[in-house]
Amino acid sequence: MEHQLTYSTSFEENKKAHEPLLWIGLVSIIMFFAGLTSAVIVSSTSATWQLFSLPSSFLNSSIAIVLSSVTYQAGYVFLKKQQQSIAILLFAITLTLSLLFVYFQYAGLSNLYQQGIFATGSQSTTSSSYFYILTVLHIAHLFFGLISLLYVSIKTMLNKYNNNNYLGVKISLTYWHFLGILWVYLYVFLSVMMSK
Amino acid sequence: MDLTHSSHTHKESFITKYIFSTDHKMIAKQFMITGFTMGFIGIIMSVLFRLQLGWPGEKFLINELLLGSWANGGVIAPDKYLALVTMHGTIMVFFMLTAGLSGTFSNLLIPLQIGARDMASGFMNMLSYWIFFVSCIVMLVSLGVEGGAASAGWTIYPPLSALPEAIPGSGLGMTLWLISMALFITSSLIGSLNYIVTIINLRTKGMTFSRLPLTIWSFLVTAILGVLSFPVLLSAVLLLVFDRSFGTSFYLSDIFIGGQALERFGGSPILFEHLFWFLGHPEVYIVLLPSLGITSEIVSTMSRKPIFGYKFMVGSILAIGGLSFIVWGHHMFVTGMNPFLGAVFTITTLLIAIPSAIKVFNYLTTLWRGNIIFSPAMLFSIGLISTFITGGLTGLILGDATLDINVHDTYFVVGHFHIVMGLSAVFGTFAGVYHWFPKMFGKMMNNTWGQVHFWITIVTAYGVFFPMHFLGLAGVPRRYYTNSSFPMFDDFINLNEIISIFAILAFLGQLIFLFNFLYSIYKGKKASQNPWNSNTLEWTTPVEHIHGNWPNDIPEVHRWPYDYNKPGYEEFIPQNVPLKKGETDSGAH
Repeated sequence: MEHQLTYSTSFEENKKAHEPLLWIGLVSIIMFFAGLTSAVIVSSTSATWQLFSLPSSFLNSSIAIVLSSVTYQAGYVFLKKQQQSIAILLFAITLTLSLLFVYFQYAGLSNLYQQGIFATGSQSTTSSSYFYILTVLHIAHLFFGLISLLYVSIKTMLNKYNNNNYLGVKISLTYWHFLGILWVYLYVFLSVMMSK
Repeated sequence: MDLTHSSHTHKESFITKYIFSTDHKMIAKQFMITGFTMGFIGIIMSVLFRLQLGWPGEKFLINELLLGSWANGGVIAPDKYLALVTMHGTIMVFFMLTAGLSGTFSNLLIPLQIGARDMASGFMNMLSYWIFFVSCIVMLVSLGVEGGAASAGWTIYPPLSALPEAIPGSGLGMTLWLISMALFITSSLIGSLNYIVTIINLRTKGMTFSRLPLTIWSFLVTAILGVLSFPVLLSAVLLLVFDRSFGTSFYLSDIFIGGQALERFGGSPILFEHLFWFLGHPEVYIVLLPSLGITSEIVSTMSRKPIFGYKFMVGSILAIGGLSFIVWGHHMFVTGMNPFLGAVFTITTLLIAIPSAIKVFNYLTTLWRGNIIFSPAMLFSIGLISTFITGGLTGLILGDATLDINVHDTYFVVGHFHIVMGLSAVFGTFAGVYHWFPKMFGKMMNNTWGQVHFWITIVTAYGVFFPMHFLGLAGVPRRYYTNSSFPMFDDFINLNEIISIFAILAFLGQLIFLFNFLYSIYKGKKASQNPWNSNTLEWTTPVEHIHGNWPNDIPEVHRWPYDYNKPGYEEFIPQNVPLKKGETDSGAH
């Protein structure tokens, strides 16, 4: 059975709601991590809370993600100036830096593992479990950022953006900056709460 | 607002119209049917465990018939009793009163009352419903797994929930409970994002915040509470999953099973309580606020009077929402909390009485000297005001640490929260269904059966929950399978019987609603476009549903929604009627 309907809508109406959707989504992610980091604070009062040294890889990864924010922002500026080739180059650098971030995170976690600081199991501690979970959850969120970055890069290469249509890039960029800020917060927080 | 320039036609198949629909009105119906089905299952569970509490150890054929191996010989097994209590609480709080209520009325009314074609994202709206549907299925499947459903109470405190070997219900049933709740939270978050953005961004021309119907204000604050609190529950659930399945110790320490110490240390079950109740208390208002908004709308319309103190009503919704985040500790007064902190939570909790009292006062002053139409919707709204008062009064006792400690975990608490949160939300839901049924189905519900339904419900509901306060004051603990082993409670067995009889009658009363609801969909009197002579925009849409809500332009708004019996003007003036020369918008004052 099929129905013929007349449906009036406005593209502009829906479009203006996309950005607020992202912002409110970010608020919910903030609350998610706020819940977890509050849990860290409560748990750190336990007598069995263990401190450990954070490998330098995490500092390197922090630098990588901050730089990636800068290059992504620069790419956006050049895209708006209709300089596609420079924008694509900057997006590629952003992608490289983000992969570098993931690599440094992996290296840091591997280092901890080799030191006998485990995520789970009888030899793990609550502090080490929190550390692994928070870093991995951030990477899980970064995964969606990477997908959006790839999407934006491909659309830029296909010359799909114009003066009236930068919303997708702006949303992806905002999310990317958010991920950077979130990681810097987590890095500082975890350093204060867990490092010797 | 002329949007017709971008109008287009599209064909809808059965699948896209009735199943994977992106139309908010259809999604509202889907939420309602699914939520009410879950609610019905939850109520049946309560009747079954009330049989056990009223007549401990007696054999009932219905138990064996409905519960099978959970009630061999017609008597519910003790561990399955715990599973029933847990699942009843979970289903009623989350699936019926959160998704069933908010999902139904936020979806139905937000675009219609603010003057929008649909939600900001129809796709996300559809996704929200289907994730909710899957979460319902997972929760129901957990009833049939080996070991039974989750049995740690709806608050699923560790260690019962954190160790699969703790009790029979801590195994697969608990795992499925957690999966279901993770899905539920995802659904709720997606829905809330959509509600907030739609209200903020897609209001029609002239629909300023000071002209928003109180329903919309309540849905907005409810959605904000959801966005801020559900992620914290998600973080708590995530840590619990790790404790259960991956050997971490976030909530575990010094645990012995069968005399053997577990190799878990450093965690604290109290941490879970903090995280859980950070959601748990706002959840009370996630359940309650939509009903309060619905009541505001109906009380004004059916009194044929403007709502009294509109701005104070908005302010009190915001105040209740804000305060709900700083009161969670009152659920934890007996956890060894620092007495100073207990005092702080007492003060913040008691502060909620102020905006709550404002709302009650404004409801009563709106009713005062109104031309009241006692429709079923109005009766249930007045019923809500009643339960909000009676349940609120016992809230003052439980909010005070020094008093709460004496009745903690007794039937006093059960009676309190069932009246103030459960009944108020249920009454608001029924009020909403009776009032907006014509908008949903184009038919009228039977008025007489609606009145019968109300009187049976309010009498039996008080019959169930009012005596529980006396049980609680006498020290009868909640969640116990039977109190017959404790001679000091022997005097209360008759009271438990009476409560159970009222519970059975209450359930039978809901069959009247079910019959009326289904009968009216098919055989009900055809509804006119604006059967209640109401002012809000949803009544300007055609009776026949169309995707996009209005066949032509979306109406502009020129006034607040409560112009009833305005001196010198018509008996009611819809929001889209322009102001006359020299007339001022009453809502602007």
